[in-house]
Order: sequence, then structure tokens, then C-alpha cells
Amino acid sequence: MAKREKQLSDRQMLKAIQRSNDQNLIAYSFLIPWLIGFAVFTVGPFFFTIYLSFQDVQLTGLGWEYTNIGMENFITAFFGNIDFVPAMISFITLEITYVPAIVIFSFILGILLNRNIKFRGGFRTIFFLPVIVLSGSVMDQLINNEATTLDDFSENIIFTMLNNYSPFFAEIMLSLFQNFTMVLWFTGIPIILFINGLQKINQSLFEAAKIDGATNWQILWKITIPIIRPTALVVAIFTIVQIGMYSINPVFTLIQQSMYNFQGGLGLSSAYALVYTMVVLLFVGIAFLVLGTKREKIEVKLTSIQKRNFEMIREKRLERKGVKQDG
Amino acid sequence: MSKVDEWIQYLKIKRRPIEKVVAKVVVYALLITISYVFLFPFFSMLSLSLMSPQDIINVEIDYIPRSIYFGNFRIALAVMDGFRALFNSIWFSAVLAVSQTIISALTGYAFARYQFRFKGILFALILVSFIVPVPIIFIPRFMMFIGVQSSTGIKMIGTVIPQMVMALFGQGVNSAILILIFYNFFRMIPGVLYEAAKIDGATPFKQFWEITVKMSLSTIVVVFLFSFVWNWNETYVTNQLIGDNMVLLPSQLGIFDTLFQNRAPAIPGQEGEARINEAYRMAATIISMIPLFIIYFVAQRQFVEGIEQTGITGE
Repeated sequence: MAKREKQLSDRQMLKAIQRSNDQNLIAYSFLIPWLIGFAVFTVGPFFFTIYLSFQDVQLTGLGWEYTNIGMENFITAFFGNIDFVPAMISFITLEITYVPAIVIFSFILGILLNRNIKFRGGFRTIFFLPVIVLSGSVMDQLINNEATTLDDFSENIIFTMLNNYSPFFAEIMLSLFQNFTMVLWFTGIPIILFINGLQKINQSLFEAAKIDGATNWQILWKITIPIIRPTALVVAIFTIVQIGMYSINPVFTLIQQSMYNFQGGLGLSSAYALVYTMVVLLFVGIAFLVLGTKREKIEVKLTSIQKRNFEMIREKRLERKGVKQDG
Repeated sequence: MSKVDEWIQYLKIKRRPIEKVVAKVVVYALLITISYVFLFPFFSMLSLSLMSPQDIINVEIDYIPRSIYFGNFRIALAVMDGFRALFNSIWFSAVLAVSQTIISALTGYAFARYQFRFKGILFALILVSFIVPVPIIFIPRFMMFIGVQSSTGIKMIGTVIPQMVMALFGQGVNSAILILIFYNFFRMIPGVLYEAAKIDGATPFKQFWEITVKMSLSTIVVVFLFSFVWNWNETYVTNQLIGDNMVLLPSQLGIFDTLFQNRAPAIPGQEGEARINEAYRMAATIISMIPLFIIYFVAQRQFVEGIEQTGITGE
């Protein structure tokens, strides 16, 4: 009888393997276009750009011609070209100031909109509008014609004080306040993500905390924020990536200009792109460090003796079962 | 008990409702102020675009023009070659959006329906592909298309083909988000349906078509609209692959000043006063946004729900 059982399970196993092979085949046939695209248009180019950044690329009558020039492109980028370093610095300041501001504001707005208020849909519609209607060129036009500038804060007493204290910091704060609209425009999708995350929190947690006498402030810091942290991480990464996409990012323009120069420009723009990507990935890494939650893993390591013991116990149990069935 | 004590007692009992009212007022005030900040650029854009040249230089007028003047729109349309650009932009974005929708549906379906090897890794790669900045992958893509163009003689740069190919292979604008929207919707379709279809002898593709596609028409519309809007707004890749070979609204807006200088003096009745000002620019901006406004106000609910459906809240 035991033998028959084993045969059956073998056949079942075969069937299962076959089914999973079928599944693999079908799934991959649905996936293949994306896989090819990912390999050809993303992975390949990614590494090729790294290769290009060490090359001098020339367009000749015979096609592209590459000569290895080592770090030359990077030296040109950092010391030869007077535009790159300032553009990079302004991009970094943009990320440092905008990303935290966007994460915090979208969280606050998410909390406000998660309450039971009237016109919730209306407010949500307004906050989401920029996601749909803003393109790079629209944003350029609005900024250049000062349609985004709410008010001139530079004469404000607080800013004058800040300016005496630290001009650099004052300038950052000023740009943040004067372009407050821009900060808000990036909150469209983050707000939705936060609301979504907030709604997933188990309501009984709040009730339990209230019964224990926690104030709203305590609930916010002890319950809401720890639970919402993964969402904040997603929002932060999303924002880091999105901010780079618009032409308020001066590095993009620089890369673009250099690309049109087929006599040596492509290698240089690859170097720009590589440095830029490193910075973006660095920011993503920082976001993980700041907002990532540590998963507490409980690792159980079994010594060989314990393992033997477990196995013996299992065998004994199986034996007992077998006896019962036979009986 | 004195009158004061009574009053205090009353306040103590009534405290909570009063607090609640105050909280409500504060919340509304905050939301309304922030909405104002959100919409302020749109208001100022609208008011500027309706000002006549006299109103623009008038110092007394801040926001409300003396009279409503539509001349700016007429000139902006003429300068941007508005109707042709609008037509081009619509079919251009639509072609890319259709390609992206198809591939995202197929990819999302594979992830939602099947268990296969390396599923976890591939899923992570989709998310990673969202983080990779465009510039670092764009240069070789560009060279690739130039290479194909010069070796086969088929015109690539300046046509929709390069972007369509990339979209068809799932590497268009924000493809990862579109795949996620589909993935999360397809996951909700009960597996029993597929089992039943399988027993009836339906091939995998037929299952996909008859069950998945037909059940998720609304999601397909959402993804299409997102893709349409994002392709419309995407200017970095488009500018480099299309350049000035095709008249598209957002790129026309980007070079509005140059266009104005070249074309405005040729517009009849405009020879004398062809000097650019904010009003023309804002009118042009509004024109380039109108289609998106229309789409948004028809389908705003769907857009918001689409983002909710990505289900990325961090778990």
C-alpha cells in the first residue's frame, strides 16, 4: 500500500512539474516583448552608456568610431566645461529642498483629505490636475512669465534676518517659498498614494489607542507615521525620479545640447548622464536609509544535532501514522 | 454655585463640540488656501491671456483686464500653426498610447495570472526600470535609431517609429506604472473563470482575450488615457527624436518665442504691433493645454482611481 501511495505522489509530482513548465512557457510567451524591450532598450543602453563615457565617439562616413580616452570625458565635465558643475549643484539643491517638502506636504494633505469632509472629491480633483495638464514646456512658460510666483518674499523681515545669518540657506528657503506652487504641483500622485496607504491602516488600532488615553498627536507619531513609512519611501523615490524629468532640471538641457554634437559630444554627454544617474541613485539610496524600515528577521539556526532530532521526531510521527492507517 | 462656575461647567461639557468646529474650520481654511495656491498659476495665466496689449503695459491693472480680448488666442493659434499641431499631437499621442496599452496589458497579465520562474526578480526589474533616469539609456537608443536609419535607408529620426517601437516593447513613458495598474486589476479576476475556460478548451490567448480583456474595459480606458496624457506631456525624448520634423503642440509651445519672431509679422493686420508679450505666451500655453483639460474633466475620477489601482503603498 505504501508503494502505491508513493507511485501516486510521483505521478502527481510529474503532473505538477508539467503544469508549471506549461505555465512557464505560456507566461514567458506573454512576457517576451517586454523582456526583449527591456534587454534591448534599457539594460543594453545602460551599460553601453557607461562604456561610451570612456570613449571619444565620432560619426564618420563608416559609422560610429570609438577611441578609448580613459577619464578624459569626466575631466572635461568637471574641469573643462563651466556649465556642468553649477548645473549639477543646482540639481542637487533642487532634490534636497523639493523632495522632503513634497513628501511632507503630500502627507499633510493626505491626512487632511482622509478625514470626513465635504467636497473631498473636489479638492482631490484640484490637487490631481497638475499631473495631467503640466508638460515641460507648459511649466517653462508659467515659470518664465512669473505666473507661478505668488509674492515677492525677498523683502520679508524673516528672510532679511536669515540672509544675514546664512545667505545660502536663505536663498534655498526663498526659492522654496517663491516656488511653493511648484512644490505643490508635484504632490498630485503622492497625495493619492498617501490617502490609499492611510485607508489601509486598521481602524481598531486608533480606537484601542484612544481607549488607552492617547492624544491625537501621540496617535500620529506612534501609530500613523510608523505604519505609513513604507508609503513615504515609495513617494520619496517617485518624487526623486519625477523631479528630474522636467526642464527645471538644468542637467537635462546640458546633456541634450551635448548630444547633438556628433563629433565627440556623445562621449561627453554619456559622462554627464553617468554622473547624473549616480547622483539620482545616491538619492534613492538615501531615501531607503531614511525611510526604509528594518525588517526584524528572526533567524533560527539549527545545529546538526537539532536537525537530526527534528528528523527523528518527524520519522516517528510518520511511523505512528502508518501504524494507525494499517490498523 | 455662582454664575461663573456655571459658565465654566457649561464650557467643560461643550468643549468637545467647540474644539471639533474649530478643527473643521482650520481644515477647510487650509484646504482652500492650498487649492488657491494650486490654481493660482492657472488664474493668472487666464487673466493674462485675456489682456489686450494696452492692458498689459497698464500699471493699474493687476489681474482683471479692462475688457476681455481674444486677439491673443487668434495670434497664438496662427503663430503655432495651432490646428495642424493639435491634429498631429492627437494622433501621435494616440498611436503611442495604443502601443503602450497593449504591451502593458500583456505584461501585467503574465504577472497576475501565472506562476513562473524568476517571477519575483522580473517584477523587481519592472520597478527598477522606473527608477533608471532617461538620459543614461537614451544616448544608445538614439544612436541605435540613427544606425538603423543609415543602414537601411528607412527614415527613423523625425517620425513616430522610434517611440512606437520602444512603446511596443514596453519601454515607453512610465510603462512601469501602466503595467502595475493592469497587474493589480487582473489579479482581482477570479481564477475559477480561467479554469472553466480551460476545461472548455480555450487556448491561453483566447482566455486572455475573452475573459481578461472583456472584463477590464474600464481599466484599459484608464491606462490608455494615462499613456495618452504622459506621451502628450513628454518633451525630452520627443524633442530629440522628432525635432522640428513634425509640428506638435507642446514642442511648438517650447519654441514659441522664436516662432513668434519669425511668423507674427506675416500675420495680416499684425504687422505694426508684432512685439511679444506675456499675453501671447499665456494664450499659447492655454491652447496647448485645452485637450488635456477636456480629458481631465471628463475622466477625472478614473485618473485618480487609476493611481489608486497601482497599489504601490509600500508593502
